Amino acid sequence: MQAVDGVDLELLPGEIQALVGENGAGKSTLAAIAYGAVRPDEGTVESTGVVGLVHQHFKLIDRLRVWENVLLNREPRRGWSIDVPAARERVRSLGATYGLAVEPDAPVETLPVGIKQRVELLRELDREPAVLLLDEPTAALAPGEIADFFETVQGLAARGTAILVVTHKLAEVIAYSQRVTVMRHGKVVARHRTAETSADQIAREMVGGEVPALAARAQTVPRPLLEARGLTARSGTSVVQDVSFAVQAGEIVGVAGIEGNGQSALADALAGVVPFTGELVLDGRALAPDESPAARIAHGIRVIPQDRRHEALVLDWSVRDNVALGRQRTLPLARFGEAAREVIARFDVRPADPDAIVGALSGGNQQKIIVGRALTSAPRVLIAYQPTRGIDIGAAALVQSRLIEARNAGVGILLISFELDEIFACADRVLVVAGGSFVGDFARAEIDRGRIGALMAGQR
Amino acid sequence: MNASAAALIALLALTLVKATPLIYAALGGVLSERSGVINIGLEGILIAGAFTAVAVSGATGSPILGVLAGVLAGALLAAILAFVATRLAVDQIVAGTGLNIAALAAAAFGLVLLYHQPGASREVPALGQRGEDVLIVLALLAAVGLHLALTRTPWGLRVRACGEDPSAAEAAGIDALRTRFVAVVLGGAIAGLGGVFLSLAELDLYSDGMTAGRGFIALAAVIFGRWTPLGATGAAIFFGFFAALQFSLQRAGVPSQLMQALPYLAALVALTGFAGRVRAPASDGVPYVRP
Amino acid sequence: MSTVLRSRAVRDLTIVLVLVFGVGSIAMLLAHVSPFDGFAALFDGAFGTKEEIAETLVQTTNLLFPALGIAVAFRAGLFNIGAEGQLVLGGFAAGWFGAQFPAPAWLAIPMVLLAGTLAGGIWGAIPGFLRARFGANEVIATLMLNVVATLLATYLVTGPLQQAGGGAQETALLPKSAQLGDLIANSRLTWALPIALALAIALRWLLQRTVFGYELRAAGDAPEAAKRAGIDLGRTALVAMALSGAIAGLGGATIVAGVLHRFNVGLSPGYGFIAIAVALVGNLDPLWICVAALGFGILQSGGIAMQAEAEVPRQVVSLVTGLVIIALAGRRVVAMQRST
Repeated sequence: MQAVDGVDLELLPGEIQALVGENGAGKSTLAAIAYGAVRPDEGTVESTGVVGLVHQHFKLIDRLRVWENVLLNREPRRGWSIDVPAARERVRSLGATYGLAVEPDAPVETLPVGIKQRVELLRELDREPAVLLLDEPTAALAPGEIADFFETVQGLAARGTAILVVTHKLAEVIAYSQRVTVMRHGKVVARHRTAETSADQIAREMVGGEVPALAARAQTVPRPLLEARGLTARSGTSVVQDVSFAVQAGEIVGVAGIEGNGQSALADALAGVVPFTGELVLDGRALAPDESPAARIAHGIRVIPQDRRHEALVLDWSVRDNVALGRQRTLPLARFGEAAREVIARFDVRPADPDAIVGALSGGNQQKIIVGRALTSAPRVLIAYQPTRGIDIGAAALVQSRLIEARNAGVGILLISFELDEIFACADRVLVVAGGSFVGDFARAEIDRGRIGALMAGQR
Repeated sequence: MNASAAALIALLALTLVKATPLIYAALGGVLSERSGVINIGLEGILIAGAFTAVAVSGATGSPILGVLAGVLAGALLAAILAFVATRLAVDQIVAGTGLNIAALAAAAFGLVLLYHQPGASREVPALGQRGEDVLIVLALLAAVGLHLALTRTPWGLRVRACGEDPSAAEAAGIDALRTRFVAVVLGGAIAGLGGVFLSLAELDLYSDGMTAGRGFIALAAVIFGRWTPLGATGAAIFFGFFAALQFSLQRAGVPSQLMQALPYLAALVALTGFAGRVRAPASDGVPYVRP
Repeated sequence: MSTVLRSRAVRDLTIVLVLVFGVGSIAMLLAHVSPFDGFAALFDGAFGTKEEIAETLVQTTNLLFPALGIAVAFRAGLFNIGAEGQLVLGGFAAGWFGAQFPAPAWLAIPMVLLAGTLAGGIWGAIPGFLRARFGANEVIATLMLNVVATLLATYLVTGPLQQAGGGAQETALLPKSAQLGDLIANSRLTWALPIALALAIALRWLLQRTVFGYELRAAGDAPEAAKRAGIDLGRTALVAMALSGAIAGLGGATIVAGVLHRFNVGLSPGYGFIAIAVALVGNLDPLWICVAALGFGILQSGGIAMQAEAEVPRQVVSLVTGLVIIALAGRRVVAMQRST
C-alpha cells in the first residue's frame, strides 16, 4: 500500500487549508513531500516560493541557543566568524514582526513547549516562505494558546502566505480553515469548503464509515485500591510535586493535561522507573519509594508506556517473545506461545502469527500487543499513558473498549492522555494536571470542557 | 638555577613531549565526536601516520614529505571509517576496532615489504629537535584553533548541530552525512600528525607497537575533557604527565610495569569520576539514516 | 531462518570471501608472490597432513573460546574488547596454580581450568561493575584493562609470583597430571576442543531457552523496554561482562593446560581481537561461531605455513581480519547507551 497514492493538492495564497485524516492516512508524508524532504516516486511539486515546514516533533537542537536554531545554516557572518550580535538582533526583530517574542540566547532545552514551537516557527519564517506547512501544530498547546497560535497563523495568511494545517483536530478545522481535504489510506477521499461541511461528515470520511462505538460501561462497586499522598517525583525534565490522588478498583481515573506538565514523572514513579518521596499505598500496603519495576510488576501494577517503540517492545523479536516481556520470570517458556495466541485472539492482532516480527507490525497492532499483554497478566492497577497515541481509529476504539471492559471487571486504571476526547470517553473521574500539580478533580457527571481547558492552561 | 628546579623544568618539558601525540589524537577524536561519529580507530590512525611518515621520509629523503604523507595517511584511514559510518550506518565502535587491527597489520606487512625485516624500520631522515618543538607548539595552537572553529564559525556550528541532532540539522538544510564525513577525515588528518610525531619527531624510525595504546588514552582524554578541544588537551597533558613520571619513579624503585600502567589506570579512574554528569553530543555514535 | 536473514547471511559471506581472496591476492602480489601459490600454501598448510589439520583445529579452539565470550557480551549490548586481557590473565592463573599445587589429574585439571575461568571472570567483572555503577563506557574500560592485564601478568610472573623452573616471563612447567590430554596423539590438539563445542551448545541453550538468556538479550536489544519489564540493566551488565571474561579466561587456561603446558606472556597472538571478527561472522550465534572459528582457524594456521612456504608475510591474515570486522560492523549496531 502506498503511503501517498495519486494525490493532487493545491494551496492558494492567503488561505488556510486543513489536511485531515486519521493516523497512518498519509498526511505527514504528504507534507514532507510538499516540503521537499521526501522525493515522490511519481508526480511533481511546484511552488511560487520557499516552502516552510513546522514539524510535529520539533526539529530543534536542545543544546543550542534560540538564535543558533533559528539561523542555523543561514548565520550572519563577520569575516570568518558568526556575527552574534546581528544574529540576536535578527531573532528579536523577527519576533517583533510576527508577535512571537523569544529570548535569543536561551538554550532551547530550557524552554517550555509552547515557546519551543515559536522558535520552530521563527526558523521557518526567517526564510520568508510563500507556503507554510504546519504538521499537528497544536498537539502541545493549551486551549488558550491554541487561539493565540491561530491568530498568528491568520496574520500570516493575511500577508499572502498559503497555509496548510495538517491535523486530526476537527474542532480547529471547522473554526479556522477555509478549505479542508480529507485523506484515507494514502488517497484523497474528499475536498470541501469548510463552511459547507461539518465535523461529523469529515469524521465519517476520515474513517470511511461510522466511528466504532466503545464498550458499554457497567455498574461497578468501586473499592479503594491505590492511593498516593504527597507524591513527588522527577523523571528527566518532567516533575510532579506533592500530588495526592486515589484510584479505585473498577474505576478509570483520567489525568488530563498538556504534554510536559509532569505526566511522565507520575507514570515513571508509579512504574518504579524513578524513585519518589511521599506515600504510595496499594491495597493497604505501602510501596517502597525506590522499588524497581520488577517489584511493581510483582504487586500487580501494569504499565502501558508512552513510547511503544522504545519503552515497551523489542522490535526485532517475535510477537510471542514480546508478549512474555514483563512476566518472563513467572511465565514458563513452554507457555509463551499460548499467552501470545491469547493476546492475538482477544485483541485482534494482525497478522495473527505469534512468530511475526513485531517491528514489521503497524503501530495499531503493536499497541494492541502491549495493551493485551498488560490486561491478560492479572493486572490490579493499570497505568495507561497515551494508550492510543499514533494509531488508527479502529485500533484506538478497540484499545479503549478493552480498557473499559477491564474497568468493568474490577481493574483500577489511571489513564494519562493528552487527548481530552479520549479522557472524556473513558474516565469515571478526571484529574487535571498543570505545572506538576493536580489542579482539578471532576466526576464524570461534572465534566466541563471549558473549565478543564482553562485549568490545563494554568488558570485557576 | 638549582637542581630541583631544573628537574622540574625537565619534567614539564617531557610532559609536553609525551602529551603531544595524545593532543593530536584527542583533537581528532573531539572533532569527529562533536560531529556525531565515534572514532575508536585513533590508534590505527596513529600507526598509519607514524609508519607512512617514516616510509615516505626514507624513500624521498625529505622528512617534510614524510609529515605530509603521515597526515594524508591519517586522513585516508579516517575516510574509510567515515564512509562506513555515514553511508553504511554501521556500528562505529566495531568498525573502528577493525580499523585498528587492519592498520597494525598493514604497517607490520609494510615493514616486511619495505625493510625485509619484521619489527622495525631502519633509521630515516627525521625532524630533529627543532621539528619536534614546532610540532609541540603546533599541537597547542591546533587546540585553540579547533576551539575557535567549533564555537565561533558557521562551520563549527553546523558540525555541532550534526552531532546533537542530525535530523534537525538536515531540516535546516545541512547535509549531515557530508558534514560528518568531512569532520571525521579532518580529525584523522590531525590525529595523523600525532603518529608522525612519534616516529619522526621523537625518534627517527617506526617500530611495531610504538603507539602502545596511545590512541585509546586519547579517547579517554576526549571524555575526560568533556568533548571540548581545550578540555581534551588538558586531559592529554595530564596523562602525558603520568607518562613522564615513569622514568623518575622507576629510578625510585617502583616496578616498571606499574609505571607503564599509570596512564591507563588514570584513564580508568577518569571514566568513573564523571559518569552521569558529563554529556556527550546527543547523537554521538548514533548512525544517521535519512528517512 | 527467514528469507531476510538468509539473504543477509549470504551477502555477508560473500563479503568475507571477497575480502579474503581479493585483498589477500593484492597483498600477495605486493609481496611478489602469485596468489595461486600463496593460497595454495595457505590451504595446504591448513589441511595438508594430519598434523596440520590438528593444528588448524588447535587455532580454531583458541579462537572459539574468546569468540563465544565476546558474543555473550554483544548479545547483552556490551562490547567486550578486553577478551585478550581476560585470556592472558586466565592463562596466567591456570599456569601458576597448576604448577604451584601439583595434584592428581581428576583434581588438577578442574582446578587449573577453574582458576583460569575465575581470573577471566574477575577481569571481565571490573568493566562490568564500572558500567553498572558509574555508567562508564565499557569499550574504553576494556581497552585500558587489556594493556593493564599484560603488564600485571608480566609483573607477577617476573616478580612476586615467580616460579622456579620458569623461563623469562613464564611460569614453571605444568605437571603432567594438570595437562589436558591429547585428542589426536602427538599433536597439540586436546580435549579443549570438545569442551569448547560443549560450551557453545550450552551457551546457545542458555541464551535461547532460559530466563537469564531472555533477560540478557532483552537488555541488549531494547534496554529501555527491558528496564520497564523488570530487568536490572546494571546487574545484567555486570553478569554478562563477568561471564564473557570467564569464558575468555577459560580459553586462556586451555591454551596453557593443553598447548603450551606453561604460561607465557606471549601466549596469544591476538586471539582476543581476531575473536571479534569470529563473533561477528558467526552472527553472534554460538553454533555458527563454531563454524566461523573454523574458518579463521584455517586462516591462522594456514597463514603461518604460507609465510614459511610461500614467503608471504602472515600479517596478511590480520589485515584481512581487520577488514572483515569493518565490513561486518553493520551486523550489530550496539545500542548506544553512553551515560557518560
